[in-house]
Amino acid sequence: MTAITKIQGLATAAGFALALAVGGANSASAEDVVLHMAVPDWPPTRIMKDMFDKEYKPTSGNKVTLDVDFIPWPDFYTRVNASLTSGEKKYNMAVSDSQWLGAFIEGGYFRKINDLIDADKELKKAMDGMHPIVLNAYSTYPNSTPNYYGFPQFPDLLVSYARKDIFCNDDEQKNFKAKYNKKLPCTGEEFDNVDWDLFGNIGEFFMRKKGEMLAGKPADDDFYGVAFQVGKGYDFSTTSVHTFVWQAGGDIWDETKAPNGHAMGQVNSDVAVKALNHMLSFIKYMPPVAKTGTMDIFKSDELFRAGKVALNVDWIGLGEASLDPKSSKVADKLVFGMGPGTKGADGKINHTSQIGGQPFVLTTWNTDVINKEAVGFVKWWLSKDVQMEYASKGGQSAIKEVYTDPKYNTFRPWNRAWASQLDWQKDMWHIPQFFEILTQQQDQYDLAITGKQDAKATLDNVAKFQEDLLKNAGLIK
Amino acid sequence: MSETASMWEKLGFRKASGVSEAGWGQTLFAGLISLIYFLPVLLIIITSFKLQTEALAIPPKFIPTHLFGLIPDAYVFTPTLENYTSVFSRSMTAGAAAENTGFDRYFFNSIVIASVSVFLALIIGTLAAFGFSRYPLKGNDTYLFVILTTRMLPAIVVIIPVILMFRITGLSGSYLGIIMLYTAFNLPFTIWMMKSFFDELSLDVEDAARLDGSSDVKVFFKICLPQVIAGLAATFVFGLILTWNEFLFALLLTGVDTRTVPVGMSQAVAGGGIGVLWGLLAAIETLFLIPVFFVTFFLQDHLLRGVTFGTVKR
Amino acid sequence: MNPITTAPPPTLFTPTPDNWKLAIMIGLIVAVLAMILLPPAVSFWSVGAMAAMVAASFVVNAYRRYYYGGLLVAPAIAVLVVMNIFPLLWSLGLSFFAYQSNQQTIRFVGLANYIKVLADELKAPENWANLTNTAMFVVLTVTTQMIMGFLLALMFAKQFPLRKYLLILVLTPMMLSVVAAGVFFSYYYDPTFGLLSYFIRIFSGQQFILMDNKAGAVAGIVFADAWMWSPFVMLLVLAGLVSVPKYLYEAAAIDRVSGWRQFWSITFPYIRGLLMLALLFRTIEAFKMADLVILLTKGGNGTMTISYHLIRIANEQNKTSEGAAISYVMLFIVIVLTNLYLYIANRRTVEPAHE
Repeated sequence: MTAITKIQGLATAAGFALALAVGGANSASAEDVVLHMAVPDWPPTRIMKDMFDKEYKPTSGNKVTLDVDFIPWPDFYTRVNASLTSGEKKYNMAVSDSQWLGAFIEGGYFRKINDLIDADKELKKAMDGMHPIVLNAYSTYPNSTPNYYGFPQFPDLLVSYARKDIFCNDDEQKNFKAKYNKKLPCTGEEFDNVDWDLFGNIGEFFMRKKGEMLAGKPADDDFYGVAFQVGKGYDFSTTSVHTFVWQAGGDIWDETKAPNGHAMGQVNSDVAVKALNHMLSFIKYMPPVAKTGTMDIFKSDELFRAGKVALNVDWIGLGEASLDPKSSKVADKLVFGMGPGTKGADGKINHTSQIGGQPFVLTTWNTDVINKEAVGFVKWWLSKDVQMEYASKGGQSAIKEVYTDPKYNTFRPWNRAWASQLDWQKDMWHIPQFFEILTQQQDQYDLAITGKQDAKATLDNVAKFQEDLLKNAGLIK
Repeated sequence: MSETASMWEKLGFRKASGVSEAGWGQTLFAGLISLIYFLPVLLIIITSFKLQTEALAIPPKFIPTHLFGLIPDAYVFTPTLENYTSVFSRSMTAGAAAENTGFDRYFFNSIVIASVSVFLALIIGTLAAFGFSRYPLKGNDTYLFVILTTRMLPAIVVIIPVILMFRITGLSGSYLGIIMLYTAFNLPFTIWMMKSFFDELSLDVEDAARLDGSSDVKVFFKICLPQVIAGLAATFVFGLILTWNEFLFALLLTGVDTRTVPVGMSQAVAGGGIGVLWGLLAAIETLFLIPVFFVTFFLQDHLLRGVTFGTVKR
Repeated sequence: MNPITTAPPPTLFTPTPDNWKLAIMIGLIVAVLAMILLPPAVSFWSVGAMAAMVAASFVVNAYRRYYYGGLLVAPAIAVLVVMNIFPLLWSLGLSFFAYQSNQQTIRFVGLANYIKVLADELKAPENWANLTNTAMFVVLTVTTQMIMGFLLALMFAKQFPLRKYLLILVLTPMMLSVVAAGVFFSYYYDPTFGLLSYFIRIFSGQQFILMDNKAGAVAGIVFADAWMWSPFVMLLVLAGLVSVPKYLYEAAAIDRVSGWRQFWSITFPYIRGLLMLALLFRTIEAFKMADLVILLTKGGNGTMTISYHLIRIANEQNKTSEGAAISYVMLFIVIVLTNLYLYIANRRTVEPAHE
């Protein structure tokens, strides 16, 4: 077997060499081109690979294969990072969280794609047809400059997952009205209008002990009002904190204002402290695991699917499982709305939230032939029909003519909330220091979430750390 | 010893230590402790027969049958083999056709890589241990200690140089590379372990054999090796278990074709955006447990027969 | 050994296969030339070939002069040098440079990384806190494992019906992969779904949250780790226990030696070496503990270990040099500790251990 692998390896290497030589000579003869791609193992990438295999016909006449390395999410960064930084040069394309861009671009691994876009009208049209906020978050580095690096693979954002059977129950509706003099939301549109006050009321209202009445039946176990991510892993509390801070009118350290912006005074402003306290005030309405600091996106989703929570705010990327009766006890009882917001003075709701999702990128060691085929693949991928099909299978598309298509909202129950929330998205940082900043603030937020430190001290520590670090990096004057 | 028989002994307990006999009382006692000890594993095995929606049920569903109405509904789950078929083939997106997950290959890889590297380590390591024990070099202890230090650092420290080295030599993603790495990974323990067994042997027997004209090679194979079978078995079992479950090197140094089960297992930990697929993870772990379980079980006799020669320490 | 006439060592310039001095000279020259003149992929192999030549001459030399020790040890040393020691030395070297694996620049900074890790006002307190946590885990997990392992071994030291089948049950935990065990323990400890909480609730009526404070989180991790690895200690101790010749006990019984004295004078000498080995390896592994912490607490509630910190530094943040410095500080501590163990163990051998 080793021998076969080796021969295959040699053949591939020879193929590359040939591609290099022939590509330079601009020959028109058909070749075998293999695009090696590193992707996380989940439905959005599985669907892409499946569609590619079944439908993609390269216009160049070459035989193009997409060799996808599906890596489970928990190990995805470790594996990709090790491959890139060791100089292995194994992958031609990779899915990357948008926040990793800076580190990998500065390291010289991700290729700038401006020249490719400019050289190709169709590709340019596809990029121009993209929602500007998504494009900006997934593609540009330094952020908000016209330097492009990535194509959106899966645009993800936070929505409310709610239990129709409980929220629409007549008794619950009546009791809620009596207690708070507010209408308990029931339809998707009503959930769009949930602000944090109402969210808090819902949280308090649905805290039920085992045996207490819940939607006309005694609860078979303790039941909880709300859940959202407040965990110590990866960015599982940062996402929530940023959302609260932005909606309250505060801000995190803004990379687009470097080097004139500051972390000190900004990150720990009174508004930010208030916002963090506001976030912490909801933990008492969550399942008790939140107090341990391990309430991550998967845990809150799992609790919701097991029917322990009335309302969960989570990425739609995890949505499929909640619709599947095999993995969800609440599959037929769901209603989706935009994530909770903050009511402004004008009565309108501010839905600003942290964007999720991933772009995919090209690597710098690709030959011209590889790049050409990669662009061909991307053009096909970003074309309307393909994106429509992708969306119909459970993907999301940031392309305007796709998500504004009336059919789009029928594909998945959350698509309506998804599309209307695009305008409210913001991203954190894309700078190479991302992981350092993230880890430190995750540690600090965890102290606040588990009740070991107050909000003020937490944000002071975060601000001080960021100010020092970014000063050293030359990003703060 | 019957003259000092106490009530405890009549009940089947014996106070004397060493390989002596004890009765059914001891079985009862040890059985209880062992079952408690085994409980977390048992729960994993039970979970492997549960559907995702039943896996986390409260109260826990711990039994697949009502036992003629003895067990209330809340504690009974409907056993399914779906998780086991899902290990090898399942649909990766909602509504899609089932496809091969690659686990048949991962299992094959795990078995080949672990068994070859542990055998290699055992051969090389036993020779070295015999060398260290019988023909001490200048600075013997220093060598031994340096060998031990290679186990002291977390793998993450050496990972970048190892990846670079593998890339240059073309070993990346090959069986040879990961097998050599695991052999090295197993050597320190093998050497230390086997040396401690060789050190315990009596030199008198060996010297006597030499005086009778046996060659050093013959002494090693005919006299020393048979006495350390217990050690070999124990070392093999430990090496196998450690290699079997090694994760970081496997994650970073195996290719799609040489990937091992622990790496593939994460599929079920954040399974395609669903969080933990409890039943599937349990099924993978249960299947993965079987080979080491039986190897250990069959080597256990050797493990426990101990040193057969009536030797006294040095 | 029997006195065998050995050939005199060859002079420096005699081209015989056992002339290792000459081999080293040629090897060095060729290697340096290759590194300067040839492209990296070729020079790597040239250097490798030269190393192999030197190694071969050592082996031939050892063979001709009957250095059995050297011959027996050579293959093991060779594998270890290539796969372990060389990468370790590489990281040792990197710890004196300012280098990040995701950047192309590299700069010699001497001891700056070590100073940063140990004394920097921002970084050092965190490192020391993590080291303290690690020390706590080492003491707690290793002690628990040694005690549990020892007791289990005593339980199985005697022959009794079904012993074989019960023993394999106890051995199973250490066969689990850490990932699966960790994930399942997070389920057992979960306040909503978990069995621990379920059983405590039967008595208290309240859901039980184990992991929301330091004591609980540490206990949870220590329990899971000790559960997995006590069988390791047990098996080593058991291997020692069953190797005690039966007649020694019979003799002791005739002499009416007390159980305690029997243990110290007969049993203990047989298991001392293996106990030491178990202690040594478990301590080393405990120092590296990260997986369970990541799976159970993500380092929250005061359970951050130095090894997890290292993974963040060296992998997530790609600060290779700083990571190398931390790991060599770790190595220094482990070396001191293991030497202490070995010193104590060796001192005991000098004393008359038993009669």
